[in-house]
Amino acid sequence: MKLTRRMTLAAFAGMLALGTAMPACAADLIAIITPSHDNPFFKAEAVGAEAKAKELGYEALVLVHDDDANKQSELIDTAIGRGAKAIILDNAGADATVAAVQKAKDAGIPSFLIDREINATGVAMAQIVSNNYQGAQLGAQEFVKLMGEKGNFVELVGKESDTNAGIRSKGYHDVIDDYPDLKMVAQQSANWSQTEAYSKMESILQANPDIKGVISGNDTMAMGAYAALAAANRKDVIVVGFDGSNDVRDSITSGGIKGTVLQPAFAQAQMAVEQANDFIKNKKSPAKEKQLMDCVLVNGENAAKLETFALTN
Amino acid sequence: MLNNKPNWPILALMVCLTACKILPTKSADGGNAPVFNPDKTVEEIWAAKVVPYLQQKAGPFPEVHTLATTDAAAAGAKYGNPNKQANAPWTFAVRLEGKIVAANTQSRAATVDIDVDGDGKADARVQIGPAVRGTALRDSLDFIQFNDFTNQIDFAQFGKAFNSYADKTVLSKLPREALEGRSAKVLGAYTLGSGQDLPLVTPAEAEIGSKP
Repeated sequence: MKLTRRMTLAAFAGMLALGTAMPACAADLIAIITPSHDNPFFKAEAVGAEAKAKELGYEALVLVHDDDANKQSELIDTAIGRGAKAIILDNAGADATVAAVQKAKDAGIPSFLIDREINATGVAMAQIVSNNYQGAQLGAQEFVKLMGEKGNFVELVGKESDTNAGIRSKGYHDVIDDYPDLKMVAQQSANWSQTEAYSKMESILQANPDIKGVISGNDTMAMGAYAALAAANRKDVIVVGFDGSNDVRDSITSGGIKGTVLQPAFAQAQMAVEQANDFIKNKKSPAKEKQLMDCVLVNGENAAKLETFALTN
Repeated sequence: MLNNKPNWPILALMVCLTACKILPTKSADGGNAPVFNPDKTVEEIWAAKVVPYLQQKAGPFPEVHTLATTDAAAAGAKYGNPNKQANAPWTFAVRLEGKIVAANTQSRAATVDIDVDGDGKADARVQIGPAVRGTALRDSLDFIQFNDFTNQIDFAQFGKAFNSYADKTVLSKLPREALEGRSAKVLGAYTLGSGQDLPLVTPAEAEIGSKP
């Protein structure tokens, strides 16, 4: 172990020497690893990070791990093998990721985490995450208001391996459970998936025709749920999501879904690249490893200002 | 180089002292509690640290709010928590005294609107529970930092525990009927831009006077 580490160091030093000897070598590489781009949220992260990396003169290697920790581990190996100077990572599991990030660290490559935390500090250089709990509280408060503080509701929960699924659910319940006249008649995971949310909503609706609202852990599931409700002629059911996607924005402005919570995904990814750049060029570490970014409520009043996970003024 | 060595334990001790001050898992029995118990931690620090901090830090509402709306950063440095997260809005410690001009006790997130300057119009909205929104109490304290928590869930539960404790020990003892026209005196915190119409204050101490 020690020997390989020393060899890596030697190789690293050698590369540095080469770099100084040949200033005309190719641009430094930043690896950007996220879940699947099928979800526009992760796509916005990748696009934001890539744009910022190029703007700062880096080459970008954009990869997806599809929420598979083994695949993520292989991609980290790829990034190490390609000699990336930093890794921007939206990870595939709070526990499973620790070893992968440690592996990169041992190879001398700092990781800058976005969107999701890991259950360890001192391994990643930065963990920049949305304040999911604060955002969930905003969404839940809006939901409670829309529901008139009473009635039956359904909660759609995200993928269990993603810490944010639990954090958002907790944030929702910390607000909603203060209202005893709001009754949760079903709580199911639809794994962040639109199609899964559609079929789950169909069967929940059959068993519980008297529901008044649906609170969803993200926007894609909110879209699926609303489509199922619309197909059953139940557009009266109040749906609130989370993420601030353009799809939900369009639904809000056309009177469908009632609200969502914007996570500053684009800005977050760009901030991670800026911090990586600061470390690569100036050896300057972020002041704090764990950094929270506040979310913003989006409803009929400001939905029109929303574009690609950012609010315009 | 060598004579630097004896300084290390002192340095380590200093680091420990600063770190220990804000350790959220400290338990009364002196041991290192492995499980974080937010309610217990709040109960332990409330009278000893939270209320004294707010008393010392708080400014009169009109002063704080005037400065907050003109120069939020200056108000934050004076009445807020300078260690807050970068893009988070400022939270300020305030005291306010005035007359209740409106009350909403229909909602479980009940509030009273208070006229502080005597013009008959409400200047601030004070939460009186039992449902208490936001994390203003937690966020006003400069000795609480997200970095000291394992994850967002612990940090969030800690925020909620402040609200629950305030409700249990202060708000639940307040009157609920015929509130309009009564006097009110509050020590608490509010987050800039949190209320939709009025600044939303979460009390740590509150008194409501008898019926006029």
